[in-house]
Amino acid sequence: MSNNIKYWKGVEELNQTPDFKAAEKKEFAEYLPVEDFVGDKSLMEGSKTSRRDFLKYLGFGVTAASLAACETPVQRVIPHVVKTDKTNPGVANYYATAYNDGNDYADIVVKTREGRPIKIEGNKLSAFSGGGVNARINSSVLSLYDGQRLKAPRIAGNEVSWSAFDKDVEGKLQAALNGGGKVRILTNSISSPSTLKLIANFQEKYPDADIQHINYDAASFSGALSANEEAFGKRALPSYHLNKAKSIVSIGGDFLNTFPNSVMLAKQYAQGRNPEKGWMSKHFQFESSMSLTGSNADVRVPIRPSEHAAVLLALYNHVAEVTGGSKVSSSSSAYEEKVKQAAQHLIANKGKSILFVGSNDRNMQLMAIAINQALGNYGKTIDKDLTINLKKGDDNKVKALVSELNSGTVDALIVDGVNPAYSLPSQLKFAEAMGKAKMSVVFANRANETTAAASHLAASNHYLESWNDDNPQVGTYSLTQPTITPLFDTRQMQDCLLKWMGEDKTYYDFIRENWIATSGMAAGPAFDEFWNTTLQNGTYKTDAAAAAVESEPKAIDAVSVARSIGKQATGEWEIEFYQKTGIGDGNQAHNPWLQELPDPISKITWDNYIAMNPTDAREMGFATEYGEQKDANTVNITINGQTFENVPVIAQPGQARKSLSVAVGYGQTIGKENEVIGFNVFPAMNYKGGEVANYTAEVKLEDADGKYQIATTQTHQTIMGRDSVVRETSFSTYQSGDKEKFNPEHTIATHKGEMSVNKVDLWASHPVAAAGHHWGMTIDLNSCIGCGSCVTSCTSENNVPVVGKDEVRRSREMHWIRIDRYFSSNPEDVENRNYTEMETPEDNPQVVHQPMMCQHCNHAPCETVCPVAATTHSNEGINQMTYNRCIGTRYCANNCPYKVRRFNWFSYQNLDKFAALNPSQDDLGRMVLNPDVTVRARGVMEKCSLCMQRIQDGKLTAKKEGRPVVDGDIETACSSACPTNAITFGDYNNKASKVLERSKSDRAFRVIEEVGTQSNVYYQVKVRNTETTSA
Amino acid sequence: MNVLTATKLAISRQAIIFLSIFTLSGIAAAYAQSDAEKGEKLFKSYCASCHAPGNNQLVGPGLAGVYDKYEREWLYEWIKNSTALIESGDADAIAVYEQYNKVLMPAQPVNNEEIDQILAYVKDFNENAPAEETAAATTTDEGVAAEEQETSPWFILIIIIALLVVISILRKVQHSLSIVEAKKSGEEVEEPVSMFQGILNWGNRNKRIVGLLGIVLIALVAKAGWDAAIGVGVYTGYEPEQPIKFSHELHAGTNGIDCQYCHNSAAFSKSAGIPSPNLCMNCHTYIQEGPQYGKEEIGKIYEALDFDPVTKTYGPNTKPIKWIKVHNLPDHVYFNHSQHVTVGKIACQKCHGPVETYTVGKQHEPLTMGWCINCHRETKVQMDGNGYYDEIHNRLPEELKKEYLENGTITVSELGGIECAKCHY
Repeated sequence: MSNNIKYWKGVEELNQTPDFKAAEKKEFAEYLPVEDFVGDKSLMEGSKTSRRDFLKYLGFGVTAASLAACETPVQRVIPHVVKTDKTNPGVANYYATAYNDGNDYADIVVKTREGRPIKIEGNKLSAFSGGGVNARINSSVLSLYDGQRLKAPRIAGNEVSWSAFDKDVEGKLQAALNGGGKVRILTNSISSPSTLKLIANFQEKYPDADIQHINYDAASFSGALSANEEAFGKRALPSYHLNKAKSIVSIGGDFLNTFPNSVMLAKQYAQGRNPEKGWMSKHFQFESSMSLTGSNADVRVPIRPSEHAAVLLALYNHVAEVTGGSKVSSSSSAYEEKVKQAAQHLIANKGKSILFVGSNDRNMQLMAIAINQALGNYGKTIDKDLTINLKKGDDNKVKALVSELNSGTVDALIVDGVNPAYSLPSQLKFAEAMGKAKMSVVFANRANETTAAASHLAASNHYLESWNDDNPQVGTYSLTQPTITPLFDTRQMQDCLLKWMGEDKTYYDFIRENWIATSGMAAGPAFDEFWNTTLQNGTYKTDAAAAAVESEPKAIDAVSVARSIGKQATGEWEIEFYQKTGIGDGNQAHNPWLQELPDPISKITWDNYIAMNPTDAREMGFATEYGEQKDANTVNITINGQTFENVPVIAQPGQARKSLSVAVGYGQTIGKENEVIGFNVFPAMNYKGGEVANYTAEVKLEDADGKYQIATTQTHQTIMGRDSVVRETSFSTYQSGDKEKFNPEHTIATHKGEMSVNKVDLWASHPVAAAGHHWGMTIDLNSCIGCGSCVTSCTSENNVPVVGKDEVRRSREMHWIRIDRYFSSNPEDVENRNYTEMETPEDNPQVVHQPMMCQHCNHAPCETVCPVAATTHSNEGINQMTYNRCIGTRYCANNCPYKVRRFNWFSYQNLDKFAALNPSQDDLGRMVLNPDVTVRARGVMEKCSLCMQRIQDGKLTAKKEGRPVVDGDIETACSSACPTNAITFGDYNNKASKVLERSKSDRAFRVIEEVGTQSNVYYQVKVRNTETTSA
Repeated sequence: MNVLTATKLAISRQAIIFLSIFTLSGIAAAYAQSDAEKGEKLFKSYCASCHAPGNNQLVGPGLAGVYDKYEREWLYEWIKNSTALIESGDADAIAVYEQYNKVLMPAQPVNNEEIDQILAYVKDFNENAPAEETAAATTTDEGVAAEEQETSPWFILIIIIALLVVISILRKVQHSLSIVEAKKSGEEVEEPVSMFQGILNWGNRNKRIVGLLGIVLIALVAKAGWDAAIGVGVYTGYEPEQPIKFSHELHAGTNGIDCQYCHNSAAFSKSAGIPSPNLCMNCHTYIQEGPQYGKEEIGKIYEALDFDPVTKTYGPNTKPIKWIKVHNLPDHVYFNHSQHVTVGKIACQKCHGPVETYTVGKQHEPLTMGWCINCHRETKVQMDGNGYYDEIHNRLPEELKKEYLENGTITVSELGGIECAKCHY
């Protein structure tokens, strides 16, 4: 199957440019820019240090070093004065809590060591988020230890004590409240019942005052909410059962990345994509920029942003034709055939399909509801009654608030959890408007654009220091509990509000009282037990069925809706605004783990950029290949009248022709000095109708004649022309059941005839087969969506250093696990190709995401070349790396066919250059380090250890309990973080283990097995639900 | 000169013999226990948590004079069941009860003979104790000193120097004798040469031997250098002065407190744990005075907890005790106490030495990798009754079982206990 598909990581590999061919043979970049790093070359040459001076310093240095070495450092050991019951040094404690920053939600478990939270994992008990996490959520532990966090409240920029702050705010607030003034509370979408109750109490307590609470989402779902309100009478989003959908069509909806509860959607999506159960879903994606979701689609059609509406209407007409609805007028579309194909598939799977629309336009969303209704999906794959409460923002109300502020009538504005001065369209001029309120109190973790314009800055807790509750979905409740005492003098909004209302209780008491009232239980032992159980489990699901949304669904007048969608404005260029998987809406833009996580599609780190189709880029004369010596071009771009100068432009395969895309969430100006990453395009977004539109045709683009350094990992660690790295097949081929067709065994010609490569060997085999454990991993390429959750989870678990943009450019990123993204030509396109025109593979390539880490080969090429035996094999099948023995020859990395070894070029934890990048490399941030994993020194190799510390811990627990290790006891950081369960870890010697079962499946293969490495990691062939049988 | 050395030798030999006898007699004496000595043991196990043998009051009153104050029969009854005595309306009993804040003394599981022994100890303590204790302390100190002298490398050096001196004197004597002999026989007498010249001449004649000696010398220097380099970072015998003069000898030795009473996380955690002061207070709420430093060292615990020993109340101004860590492993080593203590059932002393004899905590073993590995090679895995090992054993193919069990045991290293990533990750 895989034999005639050509895979390529980037445009340079596709075109086999001379630079690329030269570079792919090298493990390390040839050009070692030591001088750039050490300092100015001319300065060095002009230095007056003579040979004699040098020898003097050398002698002094050696003497000083040896003297220092002689002294025994005195280490102190300081026990608690009064030890708490359950915190024992050396023993990890786990607390269930919930993450909700307004953009992402997941029930999580926080691992603490010696009282410090160090790792975030999914809560496996959660029925709502399904036990997974995404990269943004599992990286959030690092932001707790951000040295730039606000350490005390401020009035007019001066740090004050909380008592002074309370006095000032309370005075002004009470004056306003008692005088019947206007108070406005602007927050992220709040789904916490207790917080909502608290705000309601606040409103009730001052009936004369005009108090309003406005929800605001930077990444708005306002259109979808309004559409659902119109159709069903309740302003809330429905729940999806993606695992039941056999046909999935998405028009611009990046549901695996940005939709509420995308973690659970990803899990359900992967369940529907498992071919072993006899069927798998077919996924059509119509979109402009290649999204994470689109990269997983079976049929992906690149369309311009303005064409989304036409495709939607055409799709409606096809469905209406069959289901008997009234047809609407629609312009003919160039994608007619694909739209028809999608519509037919939807119709064929009525009641077992879902249509997603990504647009924030109310009418577009209404049309989507009409189609889903026509397909009979409500009540089957879509549950309108089981509403999700995570998104509540109303773009209109935010706009109304701004005009209220501008009128100068607002006495007090309280802002929590959002940064509107950064993320609202510039046409609203929020910062200016906020200045007109008599008092503005902004709660924030660190200084930002909104706090800069506020009169009062309330330093807020990190969520790991706070109490809260949540009601993410009808009938599902969760509790957020603090896992550490606030590190700084901070206080959460709810506690402040209680204080300013004159209530003498904490928010914790308030939550408990509210739960007592809601549950109908009396305070007492029964409630305490319920409360403690919920606190321990983290989540609670009521048995009662979801109450049906009150009103009967209203029939949607498709014709008038279609008319109001109308003809979309087009332009020479159109630009779409999207969220990256790492940075999202920018809540955690200061988190270096997320900045260094390569984008799943572009593989670019530490930047946002204008993405363009490669053919367009070539026509414009822009560079299409990027590397250490190859910079991107820059453009001046004017979006909705707002000009961004000298911003980089990137050729992105799969981007629709003549369309552009740019990620939001970058360019936050207030942070570390001189450090602004990317540029902020939120202000360039504009209101269109009642919502903020996520694309615009008002774009002017001109070449700025500049160069921009790009840090991309695209061409790092190449496959060196070996083409058996990934294997894929079509569903029909897979169903034929002929393994030879889709997953043939590698054979080799010997004197005894053709033999399986596994039977021919130079080496004596390791005795791993029966003795003790034999650890290994399987990765299902069909389930992997490429989200990168495993990468940041590994970073967090294994103390992987952050190296920064400069070093990533030099191919020196340190990630132990990476996700290789391979493009390949779409076989359908190849088949249907008109022979008069040349195929342009970059226009619409297919994508394979392949997590790649140390394969723990039983016959490891790295082990045989190490001159000091620093890398050896264990009897449990693990390729061990012993840092303290390594002398840094790097032979092992040169000899590794999987390119998974990483070299410590610098002492990342000691050099200022890196400490400035990464909070986890400064004194406060060091608290996030996992104490069970060595922090590697300069000059040694490192690589995936299969989370050796977790294996040892799991074995020890079993030994202490006197029982065998049970399959599933031990999970690696990557496997536990994976929202789709693509990664499985276990013991091949355990006959009941899942890894054994998966490694024996028809789809199991080992990457470049033909080189005879006998690796312990099995992958499973990717199956696409396509008709094509060839290729 | 040689006489002097010999004398020294003789003296130190005498000293050793003398001290050995002295120590031995001490041990012998300990076996012939008097009532008072038996009573001391009993006192420590039953009474010491609430009573001092002297005059100071802990929970209950100090016991000095109690043997004269009450009838022996009354004391038997009171100690065995004070509640019953109070309830029976005994006037003395009620008076004692009232006097000491109505705190009941729990019934003690002792018989009359044992009570006699305890009282004998208390009496003995108040009349003779101080002098005796000092004597005991001196004895142990000298014993240790003698032992050290015996093994001292200086001692060997002195012997070598003495031998060299003897050789040189003998050589001179021989030389003089040969001159005399020569003169007697009328032969021509050689000009006497200086010793240095003599050595040179000898060296010229015996080049091979000189060469050999040179090689030996180089080898010795290299060995010394090697040993010194190997010793970098090895702190066997490290014995830092601690903020509190805590004696393991008193707590674990004399009082026989189990190691894991204080270092309780050794059973389930990576770290054995330094007890927090609140754990000390389980005993030291009442035991406010130590035998050697009195109130001074125990007072430091109270200071850390802001505890008032008189009113027995805690204040808010706590401050942690900054102990000095004795056993330091490098950061790139993972060591887990519970693996060794709970699973491996290794005694604490195996790595920490006879802690119950230390007055100051010290590092007994080198804690080098070679030392760890050796133990892993020799130590038998405690497989019996552990389901984990049963499963591992069941999985083994017959030939491996045979290979592992060749010497009758399965050692840690045979189960992969000397692989790098067992400790380095």
